[in-house]
Amino acid sequence: MSHRPEPRSTRRLALTISILSLAVFLANASGCGSGENTPAPAVKSDSESGAKAKTAGTAGESKAATEEEEEAAAKPFVLGDLLEPFTPPSLEDVDRTAEWIDRPVLSGAEILRKKQQDKGPPTVTAEQALKLKNDYPKNKENNDIILNSVGRLAPADGAGVDFDATFVRHVSGDLKSTNPIMISSITEFEYQSLAGFGYLGFDQELNYFGSKDSIVSWQMSKDHLIDKIVLRDDLTWSDGRPITAHDVKFTFQVIMSEAVSPPAVRQGIDQLKWVEAYDDRTIVFFHKAALATNTTNIGIPVLPKHIYEKTIAADPTLARSAEHSRLEDHPVVGGAYELVRRERNQEHVVRRRESYYMHNGKQVRPKPNLNEVRVKVIEDVNTALVALRAGQIEQVELRPEQWVSRTNDDEFYARNTKVTALEWTSFHFDWNCGTPYFSDKRVRHAMSWAFDYDELLNTICRGLYEQSRGNFHPTSWAFPKAGPTPFRQDLNKAEDLLDAAGWKDSDGDGIRDKRIDGRLVPFEFTMLTYQSETGIQTATLMKECLSKIGIICNVKPTEFTVLTDSQQKHKFDAAMGGWGAGTDPDSNSNLYMTNEGRNYGQYSNAQIDELFLQGRREFDRAKRAEIYGQIHNILWDDQPYTWLFCRNSFYAFNNKLRGYNFCPTGPYNFDPGIFGLFKPSASR
Amino acid sequence: MLPAPDTIETTRPIDQSPGFWRDAWRHFRRRKLSMIALCYVVFLCLVALFAPLIAGTKPIVCKYKGQIYFPFMGYYLRTWENPVFFQDRFRGEYPKPLAEKDPESWAIWPLVYQDPYRRIRENEWPGRAGNPVSIEGKPSSLNWLGTNQQGFDVFAQMVHGTQIALSVGFMSMGIAAAIGICFGALAGYFGGWIDTILSRVIELVMCIPTLVLILALVALLNKVSNYHLMVIVGITGWTGIARLTRAEFLKLKQMEFVTAARAMGAGWPRIMFRHVLRNALAPVLVPITFGIADAILIESGLSYLGFGASPPNPSWGTLLHSGRSAIEEMWWLILFPGLAIFFTVLAYNLIGEGLQEATDPRLRQAAH
Amino acid sequence: MVHYLIRRLLLGIFTLLLITFVVYALIRHMPGTPLTTDPAMMNPSRMPSPEDIERRAKLYGLDKPWHIAYFIWLGNTLQGDLGNSIPKNNAPVTRLIAERVPATLMLSVTSLLLTYLLSIPIGLWATVKSGSFAERVVSTALYMLYSMPAFVAALYLQLLFYSRLGWLPLFGMRSDNYETLSASAQLWDLFKHALLPVICFTYGSLAYYSRFIYANMQETVRQDYVRTARAKGVPPARVIWHHAFRNTLIPLVTLMGLTLPSLLGGAVILEQIFSWPGMGRLYFEAIGQRDYETIMGLTLMFSILTLGGQLLADVLYAIVDPRVTYN
Repeated sequence: MSHRPEPRSTRRLALTISILSLAVFLANASGCGSGENTPAPAVKSDSESGAKAKTAGTAGESKAATEEEEEAAAKPFVLGDLLEPFTPPSLEDVDRTAEWIDRPVLSGAEILRKKQQDKGPPTVTAEQALKLKNDYPKNKENNDIILNSVGRLAPADGAGVDFDATFVRHVSGDLKSTNPIMISSITEFEYQSLAGFGYLGFDQELNYFGSKDSIVSWQMSKDHLIDKIVLRDDLTWSDGRPITAHDVKFTFQVIMSEAVSPPAVRQGIDQLKWVEAYDDRTIVFFHKAALATNTTNIGIPVLPKHIYEKTIAADPTLARSAEHSRLEDHPVVGGAYELVRRERNQEHVVRRRESYYMHNGKQVRPKPNLNEVRVKVIEDVNTALVALRAGQIEQVELRPEQWVSRTNDDEFYARNTKVTALEWTSFHFDWNCGTPYFSDKRVRHAMSWAFDYDELLNTICRGLYEQSRGNFHPTSWAFPKAGPTPFRQDLNKAEDLLDAAGWKDSDGDGIRDKRIDGRLVPFEFTMLTYQSETGIQTATLMKECLSKIGIICNVKPTEFTVLTDSQQKHKFDAAMGGWGAGTDPDSNSNLYMTNEGRNYGQYSNAQIDELFLQGRREFDRAKRAEIYGQIHNILWDDQPYTWLFCRNSFYAFNNKLRGYNFCPTGPYNFDPGIFGLFKPSASR
Repeated sequence: MLPAPDTIETTRPIDQSPGFWRDAWRHFRRRKLSMIALCYVVFLCLVALFAPLIAGTKPIVCKYKGQIYFPFMGYYLRTWENPVFFQDRFRGEYPKPLAEKDPESWAIWPLVYQDPYRRIRENEWPGRAGNPVSIEGKPSSLNWLGTNQQGFDVFAQMVHGTQIALSVGFMSMGIAAAIGICFGALAGYFGGWIDTILSRVIELVMCIPTLVLILALVALLNKVSNYHLMVIVGITGWTGIARLTRAEFLKLKQMEFVTAARAMGAGWPRIMFRHVLRNALAPVLVPITFGIADAILIESGLSYLGFGASPPNPSWGTLLHSGRSAIEEMWWLILFPGLAIFFTVLAYNLIGEGLQEATDPRLRQAAH
Repeated sequence: MVHYLIRRLLLGIFTLLLITFVVYALIRHMPGTPLTTDPAMMNPSRMPSPEDIERRAKLYGLDKPWHIAYFIWLGNTLQGDLGNSIPKNNAPVTRLIAERVPATLMLSVTSLLLTYLLSIPIGLWATVKSGSFAERVVSTALYMLYSMPAFVAALYLQLLFYSRLGWLPLFGMRSDNYETLSASAQLWDLFKHALLPVICFTYGSLAYYSRFIYANMQETVRQDYVRTARAKGVPPARVIWHHAFRNTLIPLVTLMGLTLPSLLGGAVILEQIFSWPGMGRLYFEAIGQRDYETIMGLTLMFSILTLGGQLLADVLYAIVDPRVTYN
């Protein structure tokens, strides 16, 4: 046998390959790359006349000549091109016609401190409270005692606070971006609460106010269409330049530029018609319509204009260019803490900056308690708990199983304590009203009657949660005065309702069925659920309950992406879901209004649609409460969801920490949030 | 000089050769350890077959309203459980409704009254407490091997999960071995452009991420069973076996016995599968036997990552991973499935060893 | 041989194109896009408008049909631009991968070397002592190791060495004060952090490899030439090592070729437990988030390694065994 390969075959092969490669290069020539960074003239921000600014349109065309096809990424950056052209009136005109109403400008820490003082002195000292064992839910008192005493904020003058303390936190997802308008997950949100400049906050009861640390005054026009904010004059970026109203306006325009793609912040801000900076300190927000939800829309994260106006045209994605990458790791911040270290997928560290609370040598703001906050990324919750027990990290969000089983022993309490607080996150089964199974209200009621809530709450949820009483939480102002009573399992009622709806076992195989369009359809459906333990267990319990009354439910734990995709396309029978609470009850409108984006179950009720629209336009709190109460009761009657339970937050903290408090969306979202935490100085 | 015919002793008639497999079985029987392993596997098969009789909440046989029924069949297929129990609103439980609705009924119950799919409630069996949950679910007289976080009995789950444990391995490895050996043998034996094409196919399948295939499949199905997953594992896992087989065939096709067989006129399938393959099996047997045992661990890994079979899935692997969050407190969730997996791995490997030695005539000689 | 190599390389390029095409087709047909779980959709109080959703899809080229998008990706890749990861805030894929390569290599190369260094002696020793009580015990112990899943071992080791003894760190790759340490102290720090992950990575394959070697050796030591060598008086060690072991090298080479891609594959669960910034976790997340760019970048890398591994194995066959020829 010859050892030399046939020369002809090799040549033939080489020819084939070369032709193929040529084809590929041709395809490349006709296709379009993502484009190199071409230098472009700096973007001119719009003139005071408000005309839409255009960059030199040549910026796009000056790209590599091989690319003929236009791709969206190669589109020239135009600042604020999503805005309708608008000429803002002069400041005198605005002041003359507005009939200003003052809005509150407060300090979150002061509000909370006063609230705590009004409660009276704590029943035990913090040291004594830390020795208690928190055996919630068996005994709810210890939890309250601990929160009441350990959660006391430090006095306003900072007495007893160790200002050099470091706080080591835990998060399970890495910080993806330090850019304020690229917030996309909880970790970024928490980072921005430390390092970002903000002027709007809300307290424990979710009431909004202007932050005294940032603004001087906040006024709203009588017709609710205009808001005016006057910033303080002692605000500085971490590079020394002052924070001005122009930064706010610039950021607004950046967010409303088509070439920029902020993951989350555009929503709500696009309800603003215009934002105008009349001088260095005065900002006026013009709203498109007079709605009660306008307040939340004026909270815009702020970028330093003097930095980004030079760099954004070259790279509207704010992430790809070399300069933007450098800024990612060395950002210019306006908040109290600046980034000093960032190791991806491991940790990031922020340190208090003096230029936040000192101005021209004088202290102008309360000094933040903690010197440094180290945020460690540990994806595995068990590992995080082991690290907490050993004292290596000082705060962990606990899973329910961990609350019940791994945080009760002496070794845990030697260094740590744990607390729980109400959260308005609720879970439910979502019935797709577009399927033949769940289009009938009686069937949905039957589902709610069939479920074994006792087993769910006592066994799966270990007694840690409360049963849900509908869409709004009983502690929310939107909850109706005569609210519904929660369901209890009643299989007989469920079976009667199913019989009434026409689902009977006509062919004697033990499974209910119904004749639809001439075909005998058995009652067998698929329930999609999260891949979390609680989700799977709850859905399995539902399967068990339904099999007792002749319905087959197939539980399918689904990847999050597929779950979301199926729900958005309405391609599911039933799904288990959960929602966190928004600060305004109107945020639920996209869940229940006909054809709204998050109305996955295709529920439709004209009355609900009308009521939500009314609620938006009503400004009186009492009247709004009535409207939302009505909504709540109608929803309960329709049962588009089977509401299950409301979840608590569970946190474990190191014994050295004080000053943590909770609001219905967690411990760090509200004002003061993380700024309330401190470590007492040794002498105390 | 030939002896005279009448002085030839009557010899025993020559026994017909027992045949290759008979012979192999005889040799296999002589290895004690392999026989013990085989008995263990047979025992597991029996447990898998008669699982509802060992642990279940449906009576094996009962008399209700004058008729004899076999409700336990409902564990195999839902329609085998007679619909009369649904019409009379038994609600899936038997002890109390049987007695209440027909005082003259009687029933023979499985060995252990526990269910792998749900928690036994308080007083479901008159006078018996319900299953404890979470860390209180220690092994006890009611729950021999304890309960999992949700209160499902571990013993019942392990018994009903035996069927899955046995079959997933054979299924996935069976498919993988069949495809892999075929591809590898063809590629190695023929060489040339057949080898080129088949090797490219092997590389193609090797490079496609298994996870992507599993996700794509799971997204399509309404009800994912362990068998779907194992078919995927088999279809994507044959590449290693193919490469090993190909390497052996590349080496062995030069041997003299191949040339001899070809000279005798044997066709290529015969040469490949009857002559060469037997000699090429040694390196392939190890991945196969490990792979059978590995299938259980793969299944548990998948169910942990969330792509497992539709719950409730009483398999050893699911139990193992459910113990993860309370590894110190709920040791029984790790210990018992872990022991079962260990013994099964051991058994399969001992059988594999025995098989190798029984089928390879060379190995029957002592090594020294 | 040279012609064979050239042919293989050309074929490799072709196979690579085919692989990337098939994988791209697969992931584009899976339900969901990188924007499905976009945080814009997750915020309960704010809902993006349909125009906004479309705008974003267009911005990222997601409105194009998949076969066009494939060629765009191919064109970019050939120019050296692997694209940007949409779910990870437009981070360039090359940077995402490069960040994790050292960590993954540190774990897998060490583990691979350890595996071979340990399993070859064990396998050979088992061959020599085949059937003896000691060999049975060792084999059983190895099976026990094999049947213990990685997370059980990891958690128990963590509990022992971190919680009880405090000898080794719990998670991560470096200590907090890594920068301040001297070079030798840095090495020691890395060693301490890598020790538990490497152990967990390695112990499972010990049983597999040593049994593999054992099974192959069982066949080889019964060959006639081995009997001859023994009869000639060759010392037993030399018989095993010099004569017998060499002839089991072909399957071993195959195995090595098959494990080359796993060098950069990482292990999803172990990386999560030890918070080790490796590739396994990146790949897993990318698939879950439908991060097409990252998936393609990683697939390309793994495919190149796989094809390279197979080519290396095939070449080694010809070197190791003169009976193997390619023509």
